[in-house]
Amino acid sequence: MTQKTTRDVRGVGLAIPRPDGPEKVTGRVQYVADLQPRGLLHAKLLRSPHAHARIVRIDTSRARALPGVRAVLTAADIPELKKKAPTRSHAVLAIDRVVFVGQPVAAVAADELAIAEEAIDLITVEYQVLPASVDPLKSMQVGAPPVADAGTEADTSEAMAHGAVTVAKADAPPPKAANVSQQSRLHRGDLAKGFAESDFILEQTYRVPMVHQGYLEPHAVLAEWDRTGFLTLWASTQGSFNTRSEVADVLEMSENQIKVIPMECGGGFGGKIRALCEPITALLAKATGRPVRYVMTRREELEAGNPAPQVIIRLKTGVKRDGTLKALEAETVLEAGAFSGAVLAVSAVFLASLYKWPAFEVRGAEVLTHKPSIAAYRAPVAPQTIFAIDSHMEQLARALQLDPVEFRRRHLIAEGDPMANGQPWQSNGGREVLDRIAEHPLWKSRAEWKASGGNGHGLRGTGLALGGWLGGLQPTGATVRLNPDGTVSVLTGQVDIAGTNIALAQIAASAYGVDIEKVRITTGDTDVAPVTGLSAGSKTVYTVGTAVLQAAEDARRQTLQIAATELEAAVQDLELIDGRVSVRGMPDRGITLAQIGKKGNLYMSKVQPVLGVSRPAFSQQAPGFAAQLARIEVDPDTGEVTVHDFVVVQDVGKAINPIGVEGQMQGGAVQSLGMAMTEALMYDDKGRLMNPSLLDYRKLTAADLPDIETIIVEKPSPSGPFGARGVGEPPIVPAPAAIANAVEDATGVRITETPITPERIALALLGG
Amino acid sequence: MAKQALSFTVNDEAVEVLVQPWDTLLDALRERLGLTGPKEGCGTGDCGACTTHVDGKPVASCLMLAIQARGRTVRTIEGLGRLGALHPLQEAFVRHGVPQCGFCIPGVLMAAAALLAENPRPTPEEIRYGIAGNLCRCTGYTTMITAISEAATAAAR
Amino acid sequence: MKRFEVIQAGNVEDCLRALAAHGPEAKLLAGGTDLLPQLKNGLLAPRYVVDLSRVARLRTIDLDGGRGLRVGAAVTARELELDQGVRARYPALAESGALVGSVQVRNLATVGGNLCNAAPSADMAPPLLALEAEAVIAGPRGERRVPLSSFFTDVRRTVLAPDELLLELVMPAPGPRSGGNYLRHTPRRELDIAVVGVASQLTLSDGVCARARIALAAVAPIPLRATAAEQALEGRPITTELIQRAAGLATEAARPISDQRGSAEFRRHLVGVLTRRTLTTALARARS
Repeated sequence: MTQKTTRDVRGVGLAIPRPDGPEKVTGRVQYVADLQPRGLLHAKLLRSPHAHARIVRIDTSRARALPGVRAVLTAADIPELKKKAPTRSHAVLAIDRVVFVGQPVAAVAADELAIAEEAIDLITVEYQVLPASVDPLKSMQVGAPPVADAGTEADTSEAMAHGAVTVAKADAPPPKAANVSQQSRLHRGDLAKGFAESDFILEQTYRVPMVHQGYLEPHAVLAEWDRTGFLTLWASTQGSFNTRSEVADVLEMSENQIKVIPMECGGGFGGKIRALCEPITALLAKATGRPVRYVMTRREELEAGNPAPQVIIRLKTGVKRDGTLKALEAETVLEAGAFSGAVLAVSAVFLASLYKWPAFEVRGAEVLTHKPSIAAYRAPVAPQTIFAIDSHMEQLARALQLDPVEFRRRHLIAEGDPMANGQPWQSNGGREVLDRIAEHPLWKSRAEWKASGGNGHGLRGTGLALGGWLGGLQPTGATVRLNPDGTVSVLTGQVDIAGTNIALAQIAASAYGVDIEKVRITTGDTDVAPVTGLSAGSKTVYTVGTAVLQAAEDARRQTLQIAATELEAAVQDLELIDGRVSVRGMPDRGITLAQIGKKGNLYMSKVQPVLGVSRPAFSQQAPGFAAQLARIEVDPDTGEVTVHDFVVVQDVGKAINPIGVEGQMQGGAVQSLGMAMTEALMYDDKGRLMNPSLLDYRKLTAADLPDIETIIVEKPSPSGPFGARGVGEPPIVPAPAAIANAVEDATGVRITETPITPERIALALLGG
Repeated sequence: MAKQALSFTVNDEAVEVLVQPWDTLLDALRERLGLTGPKEGCGTGDCGACTTHVDGKPVASCLMLAIQARGRTVRTIEGLGRLGALHPLQEAFVRHGVPQCGFCIPGVLMAAAALLAENPRPTPEEIRYGIAGNLCRCTGYTTMITAISEAATAAAR
Repeated sequence: MKRFEVIQAGNVEDCLRALAAHGPEAKLLAGGTDLLPQLKNGLLAPRYVVDLSRVARLRTIDLDGGRGLRVGAAVTARELELDQGVRARYPALAESGALVGSVQVRNLATVGGNLCNAAPSADMAPPLLALEAEAVIAGPRGERRVPLSSFFTDVRRTVLAPDELLLELVMPAPGPRSGGNYLRHTPRRELDIAVVGVASQLTLSDGVCARARIALAAVAPIPLRATAAEQALEGRPITTELIQRAAGLATEAARPISDQRGSAEFRRHLVGVLTRRTLTTALARARS
């Protein structure tokens, strides 16, 4: 993978708005719910009201009799269903047991949504309610009500899909308690000796509850079968090929019998990777012979989506008085809900790898509970883990009266240092972003800000935190083609949510040697596009960008070869400028790209068309680091926090398109602040969600936030296109720790559980 | 329970359409009139994606029954501007690359247009409250505030 | 939503006729911001929905030449928020209107809906209680007036019979040297529900507090007055210490529960904080 400097064209590095902007601001862009084919039916699911119950009997006769109802399905109607569903996707409808509130039990397709809703009410289900495991720590204990069917294996495909980190299997002892579905253990050095040599030992437990990805567009899918048994799915997905594979697996079909058309995706953030409602919608379409559309309500999204796991981390560290790190011991519990699927290893690696601990032991467990199963959420488990380790580093620095930035910098890893799993750290900009944020005027003036608190103002403080993401990898393909008019077309199967297509087009422009205005990029469906990975793992530009770069270079080589033949010159003597290939120093001897393109499309022509192809696989990650700073004010009576300023410093390697990069940094920061300050899925002791609306599941509004200041650091990655690194995930990582650190600076109170709400702060201040 | 005729003005055109009594205004616009610009993000008035003007005021169209709009004047994102003749707010949103996933954008623009109609030169704080009923999960709002400010300043000149 | 029929009422008589015919099977619809979510979530499934939004009598704000205030039940939160007369003379009420939901919701949500939905957290209830509003109710037997302090009977329950309709709220003018204020606590600044709401209304005379009214939301099954706190203020010159004492008495009046929006402990604490703050602002307004 040779790294190219940008050619003298309008391409990489330009801040260009994405070309679909006009379509998006006029409301013309089509999402799944906007599709209304002739004969459309509407689907609705009957969902379990119980966290754990045996299904004794289901009676659908009254629902079937309701005029306008076209199909009613229960598990008994679906022979493909596996008794022991290995993943949530396979648990299309509950067979004889429900394992979380909101689990689908029956499905209806009807002429109108109102009729489908009435039909749902006419289905009677007799349940035998069973004791439920709702608390992850109790669920780990022997004798807790079991969640998975005996013999169901742990699902680690999420971790693999995310290409995050791996932990040697040999290090993970077999689970002992019934609801522990995965375990991991990483260790190095002599832990007991490390603690014995420590002057100061700090032990603390940190907790981040389940949170929802919060995409504005709820899950939606439209399914239709043709008479030959070919299924088309119009999907809101982060990866059309992944959706195709999962649906084929669940329905026991060949993948080439299924076409997934990725519609505009109204946000995913990890929550739209796994198949969730696609299989049941396809089954309803099959049963009715009509197109069926299913759109989840927001309540269903919150009650029965696939949120992020609850993470509980007990951390114990020992240090010398001068700040020398000696030992770290950690126990991580990831609550996965009813089905396995957490990226357990990420937590372990981040806890022990970010700072250089000579001795450590990190034990992790994935625990099942009777709640909706979890999935990825933007840098899965990293914000939760950094909340623990960065809060802890800040607490240590305060206890030892050391400068918190200097303390982190002194112990921060560098390229080549071993991670906790033994793999070496790749080149990264951790140190650079930490140095850059420490130079920020808001950090330098933090003492003055703190001193200005009180006296009619609230309590004032400043906090920062450092975090990152290792970056995902996935094989991918791309083609670049020269058109008969000299324009260039790029084709991938990459779902563009964040604005990655414009960045990919810019890469193609620079690599081929034409201006961006000449390049058009298309996301193809699974019938026409090269196999392409997920829009996840901060890897779109890093991996698909590499494929596009290579395909564009391939197309350029082909173009120059054709020109060399036509011009009777050597390839190395040619230059491509302004859409024309000419012999260097002889501007009259040339041929335009349009002429080359036409020759490749003429009847009886012997000139081959230009079609650059690349299909790379990857092995080298490019970690991305972000540091965030919050300047806040706390109302000491109500505990309300005002975030006056918020700064994101991030190493992006190379900003292919600064508009897109800043958009990721700002949006990620606000999701991170939501996790820090307001967001939590709250369950009662029966496993029922207590806040199933966007009124009570509080995503931050514009009124709660300041402008997010972005500072881009560019430390080129050795392997990414033009030095680019993954950008999407690092900015969601640091804010929970940054806000906790700022709150302690302002109030003296250390909050160790998110969300850091006014209530938690006010009650802590009262108690203190 | 028969469908009822609903006559109202939508995006400057007199429209008559058959609606069910239980159709919300949002349902009628999207499913009966094909105006799918307004989005349903929550259905309970908590996200703002369905924001539509009724008699010039921004409302959560998911919380209004369609037949309550009889005789009223409704404007959706499709009537704010169109390709080739964008509203200054739309121009500014495109220029600043505001839309990411794009799902919240029609609602945000309608809330912003209503704000500027009432308060042509809002402060950044007033803009933040003006679009506080519109949740966005992608942008962090910063570019929205800049774009709305800029459109207001340009309009005032 | 499931299917239902809509009866569009042109006037109060239409409403009463519809209620007389279908009372127990009908729900009244004004702004829809409370009703539609309940219909969508299946908490209610009426056969008939009676639409009040076109009944002109319910849509007026009348300052009655300064003698008092009449607010039609279908006046929106946004109208109260923006009405110059209400803002000048009944600022606590305007403030509560400005806090409901978001602007898209405030353009629909009505004062009558806010009260008849009878959520313990109803934002408009505390200021109206503090202003000693009366509910004017129409029914088959004519109109009756009920003090708002007797209007709520339990969580989501009021004195309204199935065949009755809330017409309007009437309240006396607070008089000279009066001031009021409504504050609530929410984790977000907009688009939220009160964890606790407190309205205070003061009238001064000869340097002492002639009348004090303090009302609380979201700390009991119904919005309620903190009468002990009121009595502690009345007849005395208002000092910082007295405000602190009233705040303590208001806290004792609260009987909050713990739920997803806040714990009972935090709610009690907030009653004290918000009572102190609203009394301080109400006092400043009464003096200016």
